[in-house]
Amino acid sequence: MFGIRENFVLKTTSIGTDVVLSVEGLSKRFCRALKRSMYYGLLDIVTELSGRNRQTETLRHEEFWALKDVSFQVRRGEAIGLVGPNGAGKTTLLRLISGLIRPDAGAIRVNGTLAPLLALGAGFNPALSGRENIYLNMSVLGLTRKEIDERYESVIAFADIGDAIKAPVQTYSSGMGARLGFACAIHTEPDILLIDEVLAVGDMTFRAKCYRKLAELREKGTSLVLVSHSPAAVLSICDTAVYLSKGQLILKDATERVMSRYEQDMAVGHKSSVQSAGQMLLPEREGITALQIMRLGFVDEEGESVEAIQSAKPAKLSVTCRVLESLKGVSLCVLIDELSAHRTRVLVLESARDGKSFSLSPGETVLSLKLSPCGLKPGSYTAKVYLKQGKMHIFDLVESFVFKVEPDPKMVQCGFYQPRGWEVEATPVISSVPADESAVSQPAARLEPFIK
Amino acid sequence: MSRSKVTEIVYSPESPVRYPAKLILETFNELYASRSLAWRMLVRNIQGQYRRAFLGVLWAFVPSVVMAATFTLAERANVIRVGPTDIPYPAYVVFSLILWQTFLESLNSPIRVVRAGHSLLTRVKFPSQALILSGLGEVLFNFGIKLVLLVVMFAAFRIPIPSTIVFAPLALILLVLFGTALGLWLAPFSGLYEDVARVTELAGGIWMLLTPVIYPVPAEGMFAQVVKLNPVTHLLVTTRELSTTGLVSDPLGFWIVSVATLVLLFSGCLVFRLAMPFVVERMGN
Repeated sequence: MFGIRENFVLKTTSIGTDVVLSVEGLSKRFCRALKRSMYYGLLDIVTELSGRNRQTETLRHEEFWALKDVSFQVRRGEAIGLVGPNGAGKTTLLRLISGLIRPDAGAIRVNGTLAPLLALGAGFNPALSGRENIYLNMSVLGLTRKEIDERYESVIAFADIGDAIKAPVQTYSSGMGARLGFACAIHTEPDILLIDEVLAVGDMTFRAKCYRKLAELREKGTSLVLVSHSPAAVLSICDTAVYLSKGQLILKDATERVMSRYEQDMAVGHKSSVQSAGQMLLPEREGITALQIMRLGFVDEEGESVEAIQSAKPAKLSVTCRVLESLKGVSLCVLIDELSAHRTRVLVLESARDGKSFSLSPGETVLSLKLSPCGLKPGSYTAKVYLKQGKMHIFDLVESFVFKVEPDPKMVQCGFYQPRGWEVEATPVISSVPADESAVSQPAARLEPFIK
Repeated sequence: MSRSKVTEIVYSPESPVRYPAKLILETFNELYASRSLAWRMLVRNIQGQYRRAFLGVLWAFVPSVVMAATFTLAERANVIRVGPTDIPYPAYVVFSLILWQTFLESLNSPIRVVRAGHSLLTRVKFPSQALILSGLGEVLFNFGIKLVLLVVMFAAFRIPIPSTIVFAPLALILLVLFGTALGLWLAPFSGLYEDVARVTELAGGIWMLLTPVIYPVPAEGMFAQVVKLNPVTHLLVTTRELSTTGLVSDPLGFWIVSVATLVLLFSGCLVFRLAMPFVVERMGN
């Protein structure tokens, strides 16, 4: 799995202090009514040509804020993720940053060259060969002929499409086209790389290669702005994340925190559910009658909530529910997925399967899952938690509870925690071996006098 | 990195018109910087265009030949009456039509490239002037091919070439630039409204009738006044006269239109650059 490597390589990059991209109080208004939008376009052009300032805080008829008062900064070598539901303004933000469209309020300051990966292979001519298109595409991205000549070989090597490079691009599969496009864009070696949902192309080997190349670029000081719906991609690449919803900046923080907030909002579809300090609070929902989950989170031995759990240490997931009628045979189920570049299911735990079903009486009840100890390796995870009866009947479900497992020195290079014990059994055979030969099997014993 | 000029780029709602010196400098720097891209696009377009066409470059002059043949036949059959021309009518009409078509192509070129460059314009920030330049290159390339036809015509009719022909390219360039300048002004608006392209198409036909293309310059009457007020008349007629008779009939008119062309072109470049982001915004993805 290259998921591990991505985490390692990408996140250990040092971040500079100089700001390469600064977004200050940025707002952009759009109009969905087509004719009116064209008319506004005309008005905007006239205003621009007449030299008046278009800075505005008001909306015209039938307009809405595609982005409203968004501010953040990106430093050299930093990777920042933009997350949010469809229509949150992520792509609009990228288009504004790349200078394709102009803001209506605020400002964007860009220090350095910028390459947008908004669409791979934009401007490819299907009738021309891969080679000719490399030259064309890279000149569109702002390279001179000499610069393209220098990089041509590595672009070809990176795209790795073999003899197809001589064939017209229209004969390519969509994956091949995307590979060529990605290879071109990434070899422009910009200061800032804007990536919009394009890492989803190509097969796994190619994706792994893209991630490695991104890591390499970051070491050289390239900053990344990544838009993705895949929490895994954002978590494994970005240090910080910006959560946008309906044009508003909801949260800008460390990626794990932003993602857990986002995942919850998505899962519950309700703004009032909040996950903070490792606890998730759920609002009262209509339609779920017998049993509702109210609160969810990890707690320590004293029952105090904890923000993260530690690998190889005991952990307890506590689920507080409101029981409205007497129930029998209730089972608590916890499905855990690892959030790496590929979301992989690592645990499927079901209390009934372990022979433990609960009988509940009305009132507030706490069900818990004890992990003694937690066997998960360090990283980010998401848990799907639900309560069910029998095989099919689900009372309530939490789609995603994001949590973090912190490292333990004992876990270096381990894929999971193996509870274990070490022993030496004094048998007459071993003890009779001469001292210098026994040294191989008992190095600790031999070293002991020296350490002391 | 070699390309990273450490100049800060700021995008804000403030109009760049407030800093005219900076605006002009940036616009023409971009224009200069876009030349190699424009060349590459030009080569791509021409190659792409002819690789998939069986008749290849023939398409560059087939329309002119067909139109010229039609007008010549119409003139022979006395369907249309035109006065005496300086050179034999078939050569006259072919030459004039080629000039007119070159003008019309240069007018439509910015409009066409904005529409054709849709996917590029909405996805990549690049000097969009490159599109204009490559469009201009295509116009000149097409003219070059038509020139072959013209040379054949002139040889066939044994039309003497005056020494003033060396100045003809200058007049021709001004004709092309006049078209381009108008196109630059119109292109952003055509990106917003379909109507612009349709009106231009329609106006092209009427405009040709008001230009001495299939008939010689009228001497008197209302119509002569209208034709004289038409700026294309001066550029087209001067180009034709420089390559045939060697006598420029209206040098003043030519110079006035030339200066106007340069003013229009300069402002057109600025308008195009300022207006395009608003058009791109509304072009969708």
